[in-house]
Amino acid sequence: MTRIVVVDNHGQFTHLEGRALRDVGVEVAIVDNETPPADVDADGIVLSGGPDMDRTGNSTEYLEHGVPVFGICLGMQAMADALGGRVESGEYGGYADVTVDILDEADPLVGSLAPETRVWASHADEVVEVPEGFSRTAESDVCGVEAMSDPDRDLYGVQWHPEVAHTERGQEVFENFVALCE
Amino acid sequence: MVDASTFVTEAVEEIREQVGDDRALIALSGGVDSSVAAALAYEAIGDRLTPVYVDTGLMRKGETDQIRETFDYMESLRVVEAQGRFLDALSGVTDPEEKRKVIGEQFIREFETVATEVEASCLVQGTIYPDRIESEGNIKSHHNVGGLPDVVDFDGLVEPVRDLYKDEVREVARELGLADLVAERMPFPGPGLAVRIVGEVTEEKVEVARESCHVVEEELEEYDPWQAFAAVVGKATGVKGDNRVHGWVVSVRSVESRDGMTARAQELDWETLQRIQSRITGQLPNVARVVYDVTHKPPATIEYE
Repeated sequence: MTRIVVVDNHGQFTHLEGRALRDVGVEVAIVDNETPPADVDADGIVLSGGPDMDRTGNSTEYLEHGVPVFGICLGMQAMADALGGRVESGEYGGYADVTVDILDEADPLVGSLAPETRVWASHADEVVEVPEGFSRTAESDVCGVEAMSDPDRDLYGVQWHPEVAHTERGQEVFENFVALCE
Repeated sequence: MVDASTFVTEAVEEIREQVGDDRALIALSGGVDSSVAAALAYEAIGDRLTPVYVDTGLMRKGETDQIRETFDYMESLRVVEAQGRFLDALSGVTDPEEKRKVIGEQFIREFETVATEVEASCLVQGTIYPDRIESEGNIKSHHNVGGLPDVVDFDGLVEPVRDLYKDEVREVARELGLADLVAERMPFPGPGLAVRIVGEVTEEKVEVARESCHVVEEELEEYDPWQAFAAVVGKATGVKGDNRVHGWVVSVRSVESRDGMTARAQELDWETLQRIQSRITGQLPNVARVVYDVTHKPPATIEYE
């Protein structure tokens, strides 16, 4: 059975990420972000959201784990920051209801949501420059990088919260990610 | 989604193990979480469980009578009339966290009194998963978690539904055959109407919150909200029958949610909102205005405090 490990960055919704993956039908474990990647056996990694970039522990070490990695909210920001992108405090925080435009229909993570999708967001900071090798795959009126992907390295991120009930097609994003891990 | 029938079997077994040959007490609020926890514990240990319902005076309209009816089948049910003691304890307290602590402590004291009488050594609680994360993230201390004083005399704490979400608890409630009233009932916070009153809790404000909540629940039934209520948020000027009124501001909130983790403010039609406004200001002479809260969660929480 496909096994996905969620690295918990102290996010309020981390448990819901576990729940969403469980509902896709894979084996899920949630681990503290201080866990060394060497101790983790997984076919795919989710880096959860959380309150603070200084509390992401060993999260970014998982980028070298050799399996697909999916960063959510702070998880995506940590990914961008570690790989040479830029994260800044947004002019306008993104909370609750946001309409996201999908920029790349062929993207394996969010392409199936094209042309647009309604999501639930909760963030003050945002990625303003994606790292080399990544492309912007979604944007909105309040945030330029709503999603980013580097399919060659199998690294993906979304700024919104696909795990919460109010994101319209969040479950589909997890299904797409699981497909990348199988 | 949790498999309800497997869950019930496992939870009952776990409670039996945890409580052993001792006696246990459960705090019954009438909400679905504690009702399910009580039903599971009653199934596990029968009359060695004493369900205690404390009437804090912060309950919804008619709630205490409903509780007596629903839990009539548990012979060991105790109803404690503690309205006065809660109001006294809350007097002068305005900080929301302090309020929750005061209520939590008073709850425990009421239980301890009964616990000593029936010689219970375990406390059963209906804590659910989101209560724990909100406490861990320091967003709000929860009555079932952070408000628990250090001085509790109980040897064991049993939380049978601690890993479930609200929708899953409802699933379990249906499995247990609890009356639809309990299973489908809107969530009601443990600290009761106190968290629907911004600032000090007084008898007058409790009455305004209780009557307003009742109006909102009645008027919004057809919208099938996940949770709908009214809160007393401050004072403002109004004019009633040519007289200036410096009265309470009542905020109406009605949200859709699956699990309480995120919520969407409901879109209500103008006529409905006006009817709510007119009933509340008409019935309660000390209410000056009624507003509708359009904020989703996040950024707001569902309850006010």
